[in-house]
Amino acid sequence: MTGRTTGPAAVVTGIGTFSSLGRGAADTFDALCHGKSGLVRPPAGHLLDGSVDVAGIAPDIAAGEVLPPSEGRLVDRYALMALAAADDAMADAGLVVGRDADPHRVAVIISSGAGGLSTYEAQALARAERGPTAVSPYLLPGMLPNMAAARIAIKYGIRGWSSAIATACAAGAHAVAEAARLIRYGEADVVVCGGAEAPLNPTSALAFAHARALSHGWDDPEAASRPFDRRRNGFVLAEGAGVLVVERAEHAEARGAAGYADLLGWGATTDAYRPTAPRPDGEGAAMSMRGALATAGLGPQDIGYINAHGTSTKLGDIAETKAVHAVFGDRSPAVSSTKSMTGHLLGGSGALEAAVCALAISQGRMPPTHNLDEVDPACDLDHVRGEARQQRIEAAISNSFAFGGHNVSLLLGAASTPKKR
Amino acid sequence: MSTEVEKFIIEALSNMNYDVSEVTGDTPLGPAGLDLESLSVAEVAIQVEDTYGVKFEEDEMETVALLTVAGLVKEIVDRVSAAAPAK
Repeated sequence: MTGRTTGPAAVVTGIGTFSSLGRGAADTFDALCHGKSGLVRPPAGHLLDGSVDVAGIAPDIAAGEVLPPSEGRLVDRYALMALAAADDAMADAGLVVGRDADPHRVAVIISSGAGGLSTYEAQALARAERGPTAVSPYLLPGMLPNMAAARIAIKYGIRGWSSAIATACAAGAHAVAEAARLIRYGEADVVVCGGAEAPLNPTSALAFAHARALSHGWDDPEAASRPFDRRRNGFVLAEGAGVLVVERAEHAEARGAAGYADLLGWGATTDAYRPTAPRPDGEGAAMSMRGALATAGLGPQDIGYINAHGTSTKLGDIAETKAVHAVFGDRSPAVSSTKSMTGHLLGGSGALEAAVCALAISQGRMPPTHNLDEVDPACDLDHVRGEARQQRIEAAISNSFAFGGHNVSLLLGAASTPKKR
Repeated sequence: MSTEVEKFIIEALSNMNYDVSEVTGDTPLGPAGLDLESLSVAEVAIQVEDTYGVKFEEDEMETVALLTVAGLVKEIVDRVSAAAPAK
């Protein structure tokens, strides 16, 4: 494998995940490798009880667990989950801003597709019921899509670049791509990046259901998300967050930090086709993967694993398959979809799945696609099925494609730090 | 009425997760006391409006933030009394 890098290398030194598979990246990756599904029927008392058959529900989290008491009022779950994942990622990296890094050289990019819609919905309902004064001024810092990034910055004293990128299901991946660019272009030494989404409110869920996007008709909730399977019929709505600490490799090395994987490349394109449907030939997705290969200076033969966008929708999985064939020809790298077990975290998924790729590279094993009982002939790829595949992975691609036609491919490879996780 | 309003204010602050264990009428709302941020003052104002029907305008908020708890209570009681005959 011969890579071309211009500018400093970027290495992942910390990971935090929060999803229906629980809190903690190592346990989550282990669960994925053992084919454990986090999907359930929403229990009685859950906001979604009666609205959808199945969802990916993350653990409860109280504001006081991640924020000082007076700052936790009306803070949406999306931001609380992002804070929890960020806390874990920062602890995992062993990085203290101010001690190990110049605060002005630390950045934070935490994306969300829609921010705190559940909180907005609750306030709208309260206004309808009790009148204008039911609306709290705390609604704005509680639900705006940039506030997860802002609160992480406040908590850790991060003073450099900060932003949130709202590109629906590609939002988390865009954040990681932007992190790689900030490091590559010398604008930061450390970037806390990722995405979070909390879409499990009735209004959002019904919108997805009425768009005919959701999986339906499965008695067993764990069977509902089945990317690339012949019987798939939609995605499963899920909540959660993924946060990575991405660091200039020399910076990580100087403080003796160990890396999971390097962030080698990124590609991003736009379908410019339909608001919610992908280009049927997958051309936008293919160009996105080619872009990632180009920025990494690698060729298709260098890629050992693709963490597919693989949402379990009829059209999306076929378009992605065509895109993989267009880029890799007959030699498909091993492919699997994390969403078969976590459901679709929307703006959180790209970051969670980048974390899965980093762990896959560091451990040399790829989680399977759950429920892939009978591969759709239109989705003929080298699928990892049944159980995890143990195999050294030189480089991996993580795909994220979104409503709006936003495509992002991230390319990760073995860690360049002397110490490895 | 003052006692009731003071109780209401302290309860509202407590619900907003402020430590009210040592709060008295003399406690300033500003930096020397509770150190309420502007949104917290706004939140108190909206709850007062919701419960007592009296309104604090935007240009009054900075002045309100400089009051003590008792000062705010007096302000609310005065406004309620002033509004009462009109009802």
